[in-house]
Amino acid sequence: MNKLTPVDLEKMSQTKTGQAKDWIKVGMSSCGIAAGAQEVYNFFVEEVKKRNLQIEIKKCGCAGACYAEPLVEVSVEGLPSVIYGTVNKEVATSILEKHVNAKRLVNDYIFEVLA
Amino acid sequence: MRKVILVKDTDTKRADQTRDFYTRILDYIRQGNLLEQVQVVRVADIGVYGQGLVIKILPGGVIYTNVSDNDIPKIIEAALQENKVVQGLVFEPKAKQYRLVLRNCGKIDPESIDEYIASGGYLGLKKVLTELGPEKLIEEIKTSGIRGRGGAGYPTWMKWNFAREVDSAEKFVICNADEGDPGAYMDRSVLEGDPHSVIEGLIIAAFAIGASRGYFYIRAEYPLAVERIKRAIEQAYAYGLLGQNILGTAFNLDLEIRLGAGAFVCGEETALIASIEGKRGTPHPRPPYPSVKGLWGKPTVINNVETLANIPVIITKGGKWFAQIGTTTSKGTKVFAVTGKVKNSGLVEIAMGATLRDIVEGICGGTFSGKPIKAVQTGGPSGGVIPQELLDTPVDYENLQKLGSIMGSGGMIVIDEDDCMVDIPKFYLGFCVEESCGKCAPCRVGGFQMLGYLKKISEGKGKPEDLGQLRRIAQAMQKASLCGLGQTASNPVLSTLKYFETEYNEHIINKRCPAGKCSHLVTYTILEDKCKRCGLCAINCPVKAIPGDKENGYSILQDKCIKCGRCFDVCKFKAVLKK
Repeated sequence: MNKLTPVDLEKMSQTKTGQAKDWIKVGMSSCGIAAGAQEVYNFFVEEVKKRNLQIEIKKCGCAGACYAEPLVEVSVEGLPSVIYGTVNKEVATSILEKHVNAKRLVNDYIFEVLA
Repeated sequence: MRKVILVKDTDTKRADQTRDFYTRILDYIRQGNLLEQVQVVRVADIGVYGQGLVIKILPGGVIYTNVSDNDIPKIIEAALQENKVVQGLVFEPKAKQYRLVLRNCGKIDPESIDEYIASGGYLGLKKVLTELGPEKLIEEIKTSGIRGRGGAGYPTWMKWNFAREVDSAEKFVICNADEGDPGAYMDRSVLEGDPHSVIEGLIIAAFAIGASRGYFYIRAEYPLAVERIKRAIEQAYAYGLLGQNILGTAFNLDLEIRLGAGAFVCGEETALIASIEGKRGTPHPRPPYPSVKGLWGKPTVINNVETLANIPVIITKGGKWFAQIGTTTSKGTKVFAVTGKVKNSGLVEIAMGATLRDIVEGICGGTFSGKPIKAVQTGGPSGGVIPQELLDTPVDYENLQKLGSIMGSGGMIVIDEDDCMVDIPKFYLGFCVEESCGKCAPCRVGGFQMLGYLKKISEGKGKPEDLGQLRRIAQAMQKASLCGLGQTASNPVLSTLKYFETEYNEHIINKRCPAGKCSHLVTYTILEDKCKRCGLCAINCPVKAIPGDKENGYSILQDKCIKCGRCFDVCKFKAVLKK
């Protein structure tokens, strides 16, 4: 990798890194992993491949709402970005089927709305 | 975008009505054939607490509270139009989080330096290296008014300036990530969620004082944080943000990780330095302060994780901008790890000056059980309790100190009526006694003696004069201990004595524990009239202290009972009385 110069840095800060239009982020800090985030992350990656969905699965740090881990943020065009909490495989399935495919928010698991 | 109506029942004192409420709104929407235009969603948390039935409309985020059925048509009608709200029902949440340190946590991939840069990362470093230079940088930090977030609240610019002014061929910077307060984990979250912001802060600090070497002192109990910092450092080296000629300038810095073995005292800066030097982790008297004579006798700046994570934002947005946030003496934000008997435990970042009530009730939703809050403990084992009636105090360094507590690193434990105010200081003092390094007598002996008195009181063997003795020892420890651990270890005891002396007296004079926590002072008895003779208590009693049978009923043998409370927990008919 090349060493950066101030100009490179400026450029990089303006180019958005390969952000797909739609994405799912799984909170993968100690608190999330302890609550099962790794399993949820793996599940999303597998299912998206299986179902051939056009959505990127990403990792992020803890968003702070530790009581509701694992936290999953979903951003799909046409819907508000929301954070689902206490996500397990069942909830993850509904997120893919309902939120991603049918473009309807999933009941009972939204903990925060990011507008 | 289709309109979304979020619904939630926020009244925790009754059975949850979210589903019925949801059905009623859905029926209304079906009747009006509006299903294509709006979606109704039940949510798990709507960000408002104790306000009855709540509706939130998206996009826009208008909140209506205490909604009755008659309001539904009005609200939906308004929601379908742009910029229209139903006046009189709109709710403006008072308590809001302000995410500055946690700006990237939960947003970017902590393992990707590119994402950090894409969110404006390392631009602060660039500005410092190419525009500001060290003097102006320190000036900027002075303008910002930021104070150390590790607990003591020492102005950061002064630390840096002292170290800068010392003439030395070699200087060091250290990031203090030895977070040890029970219940506090904000540093871990920042390290795990946004490691590059801390590294950037540390590089800037090194540039300010002219250091060429830096250390990350992280406790080994944080394996994921260690792994992520390690990866982040490697990435920064690869991009030339660490090493020789950083960003093509003449500035060089090497960073290294040192693991702490989990000694609480090693969070104290002189003990931390000793630990890095490979010596036993014990503090030594200051002055000389580390800024003048620190690691290997060289000028050293030690900053806390949260302090360093603030630095890049201060640089990019300017010291003046930062100084607008907060109160006159405490600028910026503070992250708290709110735990204990609270509904929404987790990390909360607020601008200084928000009240404790905003935090525990407004943002965290009050107690889990719905019982009233008795007190809030801040500052971990070095802090104290703040009783319920003082929760409207704005949070800043001075205010908390006035109340007999401290800001500390940011642990905040919510205490309700089921917690005993003798038991809590006993726990914290016990922690400090175990963690005392034993170098100075006031801490080593004083802590042990105080703990002895607290144990005596909790066992019902206390005498009225013990309270005076506790105060005397506490004062001696505060005055004569070598480091912060001993000087502050008595704070939990002193603050509970200040606000809850009646509870101590209840233990001493009436031999009673009002919260039912001190097991020696609790008795369990079976209430004949409520007992259904199911025998569940007898089966579950670990010491077979509940003889009896289904015909004749059961009773507890007091001299055999170990007061474990199993019978109380398993009884389905509330027939076991705890007193």
